[in-house]
Amino acid sequence: MCDTCGCQLHDHHHHDAKVVEVNRSLLEANQKQAEANRHHIEHMGAVAINLISSPGSGKTTLLERTIEALKETVRIGVIEGDIETERDADRIRAKGVPAVQLTTGGACHLDAPMVHGGLHVLEHFAKGGGYDLIFIENVGNLVCPATFDLGEHRRVVLLSTPEGSDKPAKYPATFKSADLVLITKTDLLPYFDFSVEEATSQSLLLKPDLEILALSATTGAGFDAWLSYLNQLLHHKSR
Amino acid sequence: MHELSLAQSLIDQLLGLAKEHQADRITKVLVTLGPFSGVVRDSFEFGFNILKESQALTRDAELELETPDPVYICLDCGKLSAIPFSHPSDLLDIHSSRPYPKKCPWCCLSRLSPKGGNELILNHVEME
Repeated sequence: MCDTCGCQLHDHHHHDAKVVEVNRSLLEANQKQAEANRHHIEHMGAVAINLISSPGSGKTTLLERTIEALKETVRIGVIEGDIETERDADRIRAKGVPAVQLTTGGACHLDAPMVHGGLHVLEHFAKGGGYDLIFIENVGNLVCPATFDLGEHRRVVLLSTPEGSDKPAKYPATFKSADLVLITKTDLLPYFDFSVEEATSQSLLLKPDLEILALSATTGAGFDAWLSYLNQLLHHKSR
Repeated sequence: MHELSLAQSLIDQLLGLAKEHQADRITKVLVTLGPFSGVVRDSFEFGFNILKESQALTRDAELELETPDPVYICLDCGKLSAIPFSHPSDLLDIHSSRPYPKKCPWCCLSRLSPKGGNELILNHVEME
């Protein structure tokens, strides 16, 4: 009789323990899909930007203004992530640009498989026309989106002046994962206790080669630098 | 808040491994959560222990988590140091409260930049 399970049968025995070395990331499935998304986006002829920030720091307003400035020369597509509603996609469509709304139904971030679905819909909207620049507006959240590569080429983190300049220190993972930090709503600087110097130095502490720009989508101050960042990216892509 | 979906992807990975190695049950799972991975240890453990019940293969799996201390590089002297996160209970003991901002133990300046620590790794699995 088997000592381990008390059974009478001897031919089904495989109680021998086995240790399997794995050493693989828990995010492996997401990472594979993200790489596939990146290839897909490049195949479409585009570069993609993942926009991350707290809710209400001006991601959609930034996009509206960016579309107004570039839509005559750059073919733009937008994937919008929100827990609920088509509001953001409607705002983008009102600017004459294709937009796909991904409603996560509660999930606090977008992941690569969701974006994969969005890319196919966006491709369908283009009717064979293609894109130069795809914006993926993540769910408003300064924590969870940092963990998930979506297949973007650049990650842009927004920090609006009413949020306070201590955010890079308090949410290091997100700011550390950024390629560019955009300080937004600079027109409100006179009314809030926000130190551009603190936000900048704290961000650079996390990632010394981080690019940082400051702008106001309302007044247009600093917007040229953002547009030339995008143009440089597009130029780099086409070479 | 995304710990549950990470725990689910761990369960999926385990099911795949059990199938690959023709095991009937998974007994132990060792995972490393990096200090800057954005994953909360307790939430991840909680999620895993709920989800493992849904599968016969994972029901008996014991999760062992390794959470290394955060490592910083000093932007002034260039030396590395591991400085543990302060814990709420530190406040109970006045002598153990840690200074903020954190200081480099080598040069005492405070320009410390987090180094690595984003890892979420399934190290090894024991199965039968």
